[in-house]
Amino acid sequence: MNNPHSNSAWLLLMPALALMGFVAVIPLVAVFNFSFHDIFTIDQAYWIGLEWYQEITADPKFWGSLGRSALFSAIVLSIQVPLGVWLALLMLRMGRFAVPVLMLVALPLVVPWNMIAGMWLSLIDPATGLAGRAMTAMGIVFDYKFTALHTWILIVLADTWHWLGLVVILAYAGVSAIPDPYRQAAAIDGASRLAVFRCIELPRITGALSIVLLLRFVDSFMIYTEAFAINAGGPHNATTFLSLELAADINSYTYGRAAARAMLDFLIVLTVAWAFIRIRSNGQAR
Amino acid sequence: MSIGSLSLRVIVFGALALFVLLPFVQTVLLSFTLTLPREGHVTGEATLLNYAEVFARPDLRTSILNSLTYVTLNIGLCLAAGLPAAYAFARYRFTGDRHVLFALLAFRLTPPVVLSLPVFFLFANVGLVNTPVGIALVHCAFNLPIAIWILESFIAAVPREYDETCFIDGHSIPSFFFKRLIPVIAPGIGVTVFFCFVFSWVEVVLARILTVTAGKPITMAINALYGFQTDMGLVMAMTVMSLIPGMAMIWFVRNHIARGFVIRT
Repeated sequence: MNNPHSNSAWLLLMPALALMGFVAVIPLVAVFNFSFHDIFTIDQAYWIGLEWYQEITADPKFWGSLGRSALFSAIVLSIQVPLGVWLALLMLRMGRFAVPVLMLVALPLVVPWNMIAGMWLSLIDPATGLAGRAMTAMGIVFDYKFTALHTWILIVLADTWHWLGLVVILAYAGVSAIPDPYRQAAAIDGASRLAVFRCIELPRITGALSIVLLLRFVDSFMIYTEAFAINAGGPHNATTFLSLELAADINSYTYGRAAARAMLDFLIVLTVAWAFIRIRSNGQAR
Repeated sequence: MSIGSLSLRVIVFGALALFVLLPFVQTVLLSFTLTLPREGHVTGEATLLNYAEVFARPDLRTSILNSLTYVTLNIGLCLAAGLPAAYAFARYRFTGDRHVLFALLAFRLTPPVVLSLPVFFLFANVGLVNTPVGIALVHCAFNLPIAIWILESFIAAVPREYDETCFIDGHSIPSFFFKRLIPVIAPGIGVTVFFCFVFSWVEVVLARILTVTAGKPITMAINALYGFQTDMGLVMAMTVMSLIPGMAMIWFVRNHIARGFVIRT
């Protein structure tokens, strides 16, 4: 890190900043502004201060959705991250056979998000789906429409199928960049597999893993498309996540409340990301 | 590798392949099956009619074209704006650099649902609704930060002396970028293109809100196929079509896909 200090480097950032300003900063400021207004049409907006925020935070439904979103993120992260890292470690020393595995796990990443649910629903269809018919033959009843636990299992399964590849790719990027002499030295010292992972591999992949954790956290915390397509938040709101509530507000044209909700969701996501980065950089400094 | 660890790998990756491929097998099977009755045909029989219909229907053909247009445009924008920015982060320190990096991260972490509402009003005001250009622009909100991170890590891996030699050789900044820098970080460009594609091609929330009457991408064309009596065979044929460009992308970057992701904040 002996880069020269030069403020004219800002000039190189100008195209990117202009683009981000138009597509991200202006919309975000607009949501912030909307969230303090009662909006009938876009020309008829009335300043109401913090009323939307008070209404939302007083509503137990909001806290319910927040809890469900947090639980979903926790489940998804605790399955996908260890599994992905384990697979990446298994892929080491597979030489050229690692490439087909990477291509395999990358496949679900290119599926349109609205078809993830469609593909899984047709797979488990009891009359026509491959897995559905197998389950029927084995006498398993999988009722994702009316049994909350089954809806959860299906959403977690579909999400893991969709995103495991990202974890594997980034974790593999980290572990495959570790020079071989490190492991050879560990082998000479007689280090156990666990010790090698804890002392050599884990510290070297924290960079790649932080990206994975953050991306997976946000995308699972604000899951919308898959969850909506599978059961639209049912049964009995058992899978109503934050983004589903937000979309319901947008679709019913209560823009002011939708904006306040959007700001709350954004602030939660940003706080978690900020705390995560602070903890990580403190850990590095030590 | 011992027999034990070899067989462990065969079992694990065999199971992984089954898990990953099963939904695709189901999709491909359905796409070759007649799911709604038609004259002279029975439902459930093997058929190519679904694919024939995809090519025969103008709305479906246009949607493929719309998707390709906005994704190409989005990747072009991300590279054009991302390369200079990534170069600045990789080669210089400047006042506020860490804050800009955190802001970029924050925007990558902004859920699309949060932005969808004002983006629609803003783009409606400047005539960017119902066109692939609008989608290409708005997808930069999450793709440009990704592009900058990936490109930065690839540029940082090139020794600084390389730049200095090129400037001594008399290259101007644009000529250095195009003739010297881009060729050495070509794998990085490939990986950037792949990840921009992955997050843009499949995005639904912003693509839906920005295409009310026209300019619909593949994802929205598939949504429109759902109805009272959904022709699942046709839906799946369209889904298979939507996978082809993505599979081509995976093939092109297969040897470089697992490189170049570090976080610096």
